[in-house]
Amino acid sequence: MIESTLSELESRAAASIDAAATPDSLETARVEFLGRKGALASIGKDMGKLPPDQRAAVGKLLNAVKQSIESRFDARKAIFGKAALDSRLAAEWLDVTRPAPGVRPGSLHPLTLIQRELEEYFTSLGFAVVDGPEVETEWHNFDALNIPATHPARDAQDTFWVEGGHVLRTHTSPVQVRAMEKFGAPLRIIAPGRVFRNEEVDASHEHTFYQLEGMMIDRDVSIAHMLYFMKGLLEAIFSREVTVRLRPGFFPFVEPGFELDIKCLICGGPGCPVCKQSGWVELLPCGLVHPNVLRAGGIDPGHWNGFAFGLGLTRLVMMRYAIDDIRHLASGDLRFLRQF
Amino acid sequence: MKFSYNWLSELLDGALPGPAELTRLITMKTAECEGVELFAPALAHAVAARVLEVTPIEGSLNVQARIDAGPLHGIKQVVCGAPNCRAGLVAAYLPAGAELDGRVIRKVTISGVESDGMLASAAELAINRDHSGVLEIDVEPGSPLPGLAPDHVIEVDNKSLTHRPDLWGHYGMAREIAAITGAKLKDPVKASLLPAGEPLYKVEIEDHSLSPRYSALVFENVTVQPSPLWLQARLEAAGMNAINNIVDVTNYIAAELAEPMHAFDADKLQGNTIYVRRAKTGEPYDALNGESYTLDPRHLVIADSGGAIALAGVIGGAGSAINGETTRIVLESANFDAACIRKTSAGMKLRTDASMRFEKAQDPNNTVRALARAIELFEIVSPGIRLRGGLIDNFKAPPAPAPITLPMDWLIRKLGRPIEAAEVRAILESLEFGVAEPTPGVFEVTVPSWRATKDVTIKDDLLEEVGRMVGYSSIPPEPPLKPVERPWVNHERLFHHDLRQKAAAQGFTETYNYSFVSEAMAARFGFTPDQHVHVLNPISVEQSLMRISLLPGIHKNIVDNARYSDEFRLFEIGNEIHKRQGNGLPHEVPHLMAAFHTKADGQAAFFELKRLAECLMPGCETVPTSSFGYEHPARSAAITWRGRQAGRIFELHPSLVESGRASILDVNLAVLSELGPEPKRYQPLRRFPSSSFDLSVVAGLRELTGELGRRIRAAAGANCDSVEFLYSYQGQPLPGDKQSLSYRITVSAPDHTLSNEELTGIRSAIIEALKAAGYELRG
Ligand SMILES: [Zn+2]
Repeated sequence: MIESTLSELESRAAASIDAAATPDSLETARVEFLGRKGALASIGKDMGKLPPDQRAAVGKLLNAVKQSIESRFDARKAIFGKAALDSRLAAEWLDVTRPAPGVRPGSLHPLTLIQRELEEYFTSLGFAVVDGPEVETEWHNFDALNIPATHPARDAQDTFWVEGGHVLRTHTSPVQVRAMEKFGAPLRIIAPGRVFRNEEVDASHEHTFYQLEGMMIDRDVSIAHMLYFMKGLLEAIFSREVTVRLRPGFFPFVEPGFELDIKCLICGGPGCPVCKQSGWVELLPCGLVHPNVLRAGGIDPGHWNGFAFGLGLTRLVMMRYAIDDIRHLASGDLRFLRQF
Repeated sequence: MKFSYNWLSELLDGALPGPAELTRLITMKTAECEGVELFAPALAHAVAARVLEVTPIEGSLNVQARIDAGPLHGIKQVVCGAPNCRAGLVAAYLPAGAELDGRVIRKVTISGVESDGMLASAAELAINRDHSGVLEIDVEPGSPLPGLAPDHVIEVDNKSLTHRPDLWGHYGMAREIAAITGAKLKDPVKASLLPAGEPLYKVEIEDHSLSPRYSALVFENVTVQPSPLWLQARLEAAGMNAINNIVDVTNYIAAELAEPMHAFDADKLQGNTIYVRRAKTGEPYDALNGESYTLDPRHLVIADSGGAIALAGVIGGAGSAINGETTRIVLESANFDAACIRKTSAGMKLRTDASMRFEKAQDPNNTVRALARAIELFEIVSPGIRLRGGLIDNFKAPPAPAPITLPMDWLIRKLGRPIEAAEVRAILESLEFGVAEPTPGVFEVTVPSWRATKDVTIKDDLLEEVGRMVGYSSIPPEPPLKPVERPWVNHERLFHHDLRQKAAAQGFTETYNYSFVSEAMAARFGFTPDQHVHVLNPISVEQSLMRISLLPGIHKNIVDNARYSDEFRLFEIGNEIHKRQGNGLPHEVPHLMAAFHTKADGQAAFFELKRLAECLMPGCETVPTSSFGYEHPARSAAITWRGRQAGRIFELHPSLVESGRASILDVNLAVLSELGPEPKRYQPLRRFPSSSFDLSVVAGLRELTGELGRRIRAAAGANCDSVEFLYSYQGQPLPGDKQSLSYRITVSAPDHTLSNEELTGIRSAIIEALKAAGYELRG
């Protein structure tokens, strides 16, 4: 009796749920069968009228039917839910090709980039990074570097003089002397910085440019040791094979002195304005520190010696990024600067 | 310095590498060559030709000449414009196919007449600079020009010869080539030519430290005339001008032996003593260059009893100069102190071929060698010339330098590669060093006089001689086996890099500006010239002052970039250079200056910079102050950070920016470095929840948001976490002279959750305080 009623109720509920076309009609069906005043609830209420020995079996059946209807309802409801979510998300279509708003990072000057890179490289080899003043004493810029006032090498330097008998440093080499005064021996330093030469500006000449001075003082430092550092330096800078040549060069503060040239990376050898048509670029003047310079820095050349080098950072930047006009570097032109 | 390949070849026995290879070898072993060029190539084709007949060309200044160019070329017709073109003349002829100034001469038609080749001037042939007519010569038609041939000129960078007095002459360079290639050096000097006997002049040297040696010869029966063409061509190749035979010989010897000489007209000298002395104060001097100078005791002069006849080692005098009438000469060959010559030449801005050589410290032994060479050359260029009297020579030789001790083990340690003692000895001897080995493994090296004046004095100098000759490419790089310590840390530089990174992250691009400003640039910002360190020798007025602010440079960046872009951000880190009292170095103060330019509202620009300031200095405050002339009068503030004045923020005065609005942040990095990194210490997180409430305060239109916020905070008491400005409002129902400023106040207690009563209490306390200060609150 009641069994057949339940079975018939289950089929009706299934048909109703399946036929529901909208979440609303599904809800109507739920109320009709599963609601507090729905069909299953009223059958449940009649359970009390059953004889006690039947109640358990009927109760079990009632639960089974209820669960069957509920799970059918849940499944149907989930389908509606997914469809609703799908259509909402579809409406949230985004034009992913629109530009993103907000400020972009600016860029650092190429001379900053190369300085940082070399500072890190040399720091990893135990070199301290030191600074010196841009306006220097004549003594530090020249005399202490074995260039007395009457030395013709002073002509090569095209010096800017300022009041008080001081100079705009013509090279970063005076920092060698300042570092020896400050730290003594043994010593490993580099000193990147701005230097000045009284020269007319054109595509390959500037009155303001950047150098990186380096110095190592220890016991029995040899040319072979110097070459080891210079080779490592060039590999670090260019991350590729560069053709170099080492030849004699005269700088009063080193003895012997060298010029290390690299084959021009702009033209590859045939000649261009950057290499002054020679195919070679003087990149790395270097040498063993002259005993007079050690003495000027308060270091006994009988016990210590070392090497020093001066890297043309401006040249290097031009080589690295294939910049064909030195004037861009101080132009402040953002169309240039933003490329780095 | 220019070197003639042909000249060098004459000074050497044995096969030489070609000009290009020789140039490379000199660069790699001795001194930097700037290049090598074919010189006077036309001489390969030039022959003598006799002009047979000259016919005018109608309507042209040119003439038509029939010439006999010898058996090979035969009779030719050429068009010639030279005024000296005449029948019977024997001239230099360049046939078609010859090269001139990089072009090949072809058969052409000029003024309607065919010209087969050309008659050439001496200048066109690169013998001298004479353009006035075709070169007249005295040889058979068809013969090549006597003693003339194409040459190669190797140009060596003067800077790389600064330390090498000997390389200012071809002979010194030939010695290097001999050492490099194994060719044999030939000495052009025949010392036996020097005359013995009583000299005609006495020489008095006031101070031998300024002039260790003064030598001279007297010649008579001199004919002053043009030099032979071969000599003129040599001078031309070496970059000098042919003048007359006497001067040309002195220049030739300077270029060959590096010894500058000077010829006086003996008949113009007074007395028979030559004085080498300091000039007297105010002593007048008329130089060969037509200029008059007033001398003083810093200058060294050559004088006769009448006064100065030469500025020693720099330039001869007008009064004793030789000319076409000269028949007797005194030929000076002296040695002077390098520093003295350099000071004189630099002080008077007189750079001559002589001063350039003397300031490198020449070899005093060279004076008499040069005179011996002159005797030989004068006999060639002035036939019939005769010596009068013996060699004039006043020489106080400086003490010979002690030999240099060169231990082999030291040499090998410094070179960083093994080398046999025999090889070291061979190298040094090829450069004419004397080598003895008193104890095995230790050389005693005697320096030749031409290297001993300044160049080679210590064993390190000998290391260079050996190193360059074995070739630096033969030294294998080797890591030093030395202990490495953790290097000293340059915090300031790392800090600057960190700031750069932060500024770039906020959209600012880094620029580098010059340390120089012009007076005009400085004046735009109210800076006066006397505030600045002055460059005493600026390239131009644009670069006459050292910057005391980065502003002029940044302003220029703004103006320049506004041409291409409406909105941009840039910054620079660089040194301000400030004058200091007394003679100390100027004070260099690192600053960071950033700028934002926009076409839009200047307010946005200002706050863009304030945002950057807060990124660089978290928690910094802007304190309104009076403004400078270059600042917007109502938009400028000082920046304080951690109790220190750290910089300024302002909008540039709109009159300085025509393209839009620009704001500037200027931070004194010296102050930031002094403050050091902000100490960081963990604060326990609050365990009890916080509460917030908003308040809107009615205030005047120029009320400072920051001030009012501080007032609220002070009134809120110890449990206040933060007071955050939300927004301002103007309009109904507020009166026109009022605005409302809204803040969010967040409070909490460390040990319990604040009760409603407590919250109300804080709120009331704030309201009370504000009311007491005359503010009203909005609903
Ligand atoms: Zn190139």
